[in-house]
Amino acid sequence: MSEALLQVEKIEVVYKRVITAVQGVTLSVGPKQIVAILGTNGAGKTTTLRAISGFLGLDDARITEGTISFEGRRIENAPPHDIAARGIVLVPERDKVFPNLTVAENLVVPVSRAGAAERRRQDEQIYSLFPRLAELRQRIGGLLSGGERQMLAIAGALMCRPSLLLVDELSLGLAPVVVQDLTRRLLAVRDEFGIAILLVEQSAAAALTIADHAYVMENGRIVLDGDRERLKSHQDVQEFYLGQASGERRSYRAVKQYRRSRRWYG
Amino acid sequence: MFRPVPRASGYFRTGYGEDLALLQTRAERISLALFVLILAGFPFVASPFALDLACQVFLASVGALSLMLLTGYAGQISLGHAGLIAAGAFTTGILAREIHAPFWITLPASAVTGIVLGFVFGLPSLRLRGLYLAVSTLALHFVVIYLGGEYETKRGFSTGILVEPPSLAGFKLSGGHFWYFVLLAAAAVSLLICINLLRSRSGRAFRAVHARETVAEALGISIGGYKLLAFVISSAMTSVAGCLFAYYRGFVSVEAFDLFLSIQYVAMIIIGGMGSLLGALLGAAFVTLFPYAIEALLHLLPNADKLAGDIFAVNYASFGLVMILFLVFEPLGLVGIWHRLQNYFLLWPFRYRPLTGARK
Amino acid sequence: MQLAVNIVVLASIYALIACGYVLIYRVSRVLNLAHGELMMLGAYMVLATASLFNGHPVVALAAAILLSLLVGALVYVFLMRKMTGEMVLAAILTTVALGILIRGLVVLIWSAQQQYPAQALGVPNPSLVLFGGARISMWSAVLVATTGLVYAALFAFLRFGRWGMRMRAAGQNPLLAAQRGINLHGVYALAWSLSTLTGALAGILMALDSGVTGGMPVIGLKAFPAALVGGLDSLVGALVGSLIVAAAEVLLIYYVDPLLSDVVPFLVLIAMLIVRPWGLFGTREELDRV
Repeated sequence: MSEALLQVEKIEVVYKRVITAVQGVTLSVGPKQIVAILGTNGAGKTTTLRAISGFLGLDDARITEGTISFEGRRIENAPPHDIAARGIVLVPERDKVFPNLTVAENLVVPVSRAGAAERRRQDEQIYSLFPRLAELRQRIGGLLSGGERQMLAIAGALMCRPSLLLVDELSLGLAPVVVQDLTRRLLAVRDEFGIAILLVEQSAAAALTIADHAYVMENGRIVLDGDRERLKSHQDVQEFYLGQASGERRSYRAVKQYRRSRRWYG
Repeated sequence: MFRPVPRASGYFRTGYGEDLALLQTRAERISLALFVLILAGFPFVASPFALDLACQVFLASVGALSLMLLTGYAGQISLGHAGLIAAGAFTTGILAREIHAPFWITLPASAVTGIVLGFVFGLPSLRLRGLYLAVSTLALHFVVIYLGGEYETKRGFSTGILVEPPSLAGFKLSGGHFWYFVLLAAAAVSLLICINLLRSRSGRAFRAVHARETVAEALGISIGGYKLLAFVISSAMTSVAGCLFAYYRGFVSVEAFDLFLSIQYVAMIIIGGMGSLLGALLGAAFVTLFPYAIEALLHLLPNADKLAGDIFAVNYASFGLVMILFLVFEPLGLVGIWHRLQNYFLLWPFRYRPLTGARK
Repeated sequence: MQLAVNIVVLASIYALIACGYVLIYRVSRVLNLAHGELMMLGAYMVLATASLFNGHPVVALAAAILLSLLVGALVYVFLMRKMTGEMVLAAILTTVALGILIRGLVVLIWSAQQQYPAQALGVPNPSLVLFGGARISMWSAVLVATTGLVYAALFAFLRFGRWGMRMRAAGQNPLLAAQRGINLHGVYALAWSLSTLTGALAGILMALDSGVTGGMPVIGLKAFPAALVGGLDSLVGALVGSLIVAAAEVLLIYYVDPLLSDVVPFLVLIAMLIVRPWGLFGTREELDRV
């Protein structure tokens, strides 16, 4: 098995010194892999992503245990611009574009070590990947639709030439058709740029169409992980995340039993 | 009232009166009595200079307490404090000069001026917050100063208005001892007003408005009403301080009420420690005594003669420096230092307070 | 006609100072109330460089201007950087305290007397005659031209320059800017440098025209309403606001009462706060920032 690009080992994240949001989470992302973290609200997915990208300090949270290694070097609790410089770039959930800058300006602003010619080539690449953005070059960022904004956010992140792209809630607030389109483009991004992608998603269906590997989080812990096929065929994932009930009606007691065992187990 | 570590145990209250009392334990009562004795005896052993210093501290305390009430508790930033003091002083000066009004008219008149001006200063707070509110108070300060200056030049008092000492039944009231007790009483009364106001419904409303306006409104607290109330009460107190200022100095001139004075009052509550009445008092003492301390320090240094001529500039520079130091390194102010000191001795040999849940 | 010239000169002064307020506020949401004092410092530095580069007025001027760039960056690095993330009120009060410190230091180093950098540099200040019989001093004319140049340069930089765009981005969404690799501390230091530079230019030109005393920061404080009236985060607004405030001040002094000079900007400010608190060209969200 090739050396993992990102290796998270048993991290614990604590908010305001008393609230443990994430406990004992271990996951890894290999080079050029698409990995998804699934789960409902409050499962700790965004916290994990923030821990990796270094933005915990804003919410008075800290990684109190465990390690995060990127390309072999430890990065937990490092400052965010340091982590960005190493090649991990985050596409955030909210406030993902600069609202008063045009699309073109949004793509000029990100900092990367590329020279002018390289940047131009990158520009071309991105506009060919997201042709819609090419049409909207002079549009002000705040006036874009949801899907266009998400595209711009991903494009902006790509301008930083990351080796690992973190995407937080890609599908939030978007119509299923748009989500489908975006996920396909993410696949194209992975293939053309050769970067790894770590996806945090509430919509398991969308994520599982492109993820090579996925983790399911509940209550701050990982309860399930495996590759795409295994998860798609897993009964619990089908029932609770994909909405596909398995034939016979479960009795109330069986569901309560399941939930209880999850609480103790998870 | 805030206590860093509980100090009273074994005291059982058997009635509401005991519950509401300001002094709860015998130790507190004894220490207050001692403190009052010391304060009362001070003028008889102190030099006139020290007496004057104490008077200045008491006078500053009134203004500092009122500003702490407005900014520290109700959260309404005000940079126009000097303007309000000027208003009170000018009311006193004008009335004393124009119609020879005695002090038992000028004092309430100053308070009335304060109330009216408080309303005016407070109106912007209904619409503005934070930076913009501070700027509006600043602008109003300049307007007040301008009006004062206008009066001075138009009435020919270009060097300022002389105010005679207050008189009662023909006796001129003046003298260091007299002023010491009067100003001590003023400071004490202000402190009591603030303490009781903060323990009342209005005080809780102030804190609620400061913490989360929308939630306070949802709870049925009239935000506009309480903001205006905070401004009005604070300004009334400040104007009364201005009136006392006029009588104590015997002289009212618009140059004494510049922006630097406003900043000094804001510094008092910041250096003292925001959100604490003790902080207001400590800050008032610190800022008032600071220039004298600097002067004394200068005399100790070897080649101080060169600087002594520029004492004003030295004061300015060192004041700015100290304010920066407090803002950067000790945001909790003198009260923060005091509590840390208290905790050290009270908790020894332990070092940390017991966990009281999620701390900010 | 002379009135019009006076208005233009005063407006240029206010505008050159106001863009300093706008630069820092737009990029880092901090109100720099030490701007007036930093402006005065620039003027005094000319006195220092004049004696250092005796006989070379151009070099002395250039040195003072470059020094001001450095001072701005140093102020950020050693003081304001520690206040990022704190309450905005605390940051503003820090700048106020800094202003007080500078005032004291300036008097200690250079004394409180009125001094004349023009004499120190050995440059003249003739009075030029314009059409209509109006007069304007040479350095005032230079100031008007400088204001125009500075604004043009700033507009171009912010609009088209890569780092100008990054400054705008950092002002809009600092978190996202950090996530896109923009070094926020660097951007803020740049804003402070540019702001101090424009302020120093204003101070130096004013000092060359009419000397410098310890009372110069008052003008800086009067320019602040001009920035606010236009909108604290808008350069265009600063220009327009300065015109409005200057026009009001000159006209009211002439027709009503000379004593009004110091208070007119604040009257205009109050009027604007009543009608439209975020200024003519400011963005509306700014109102609720505490």
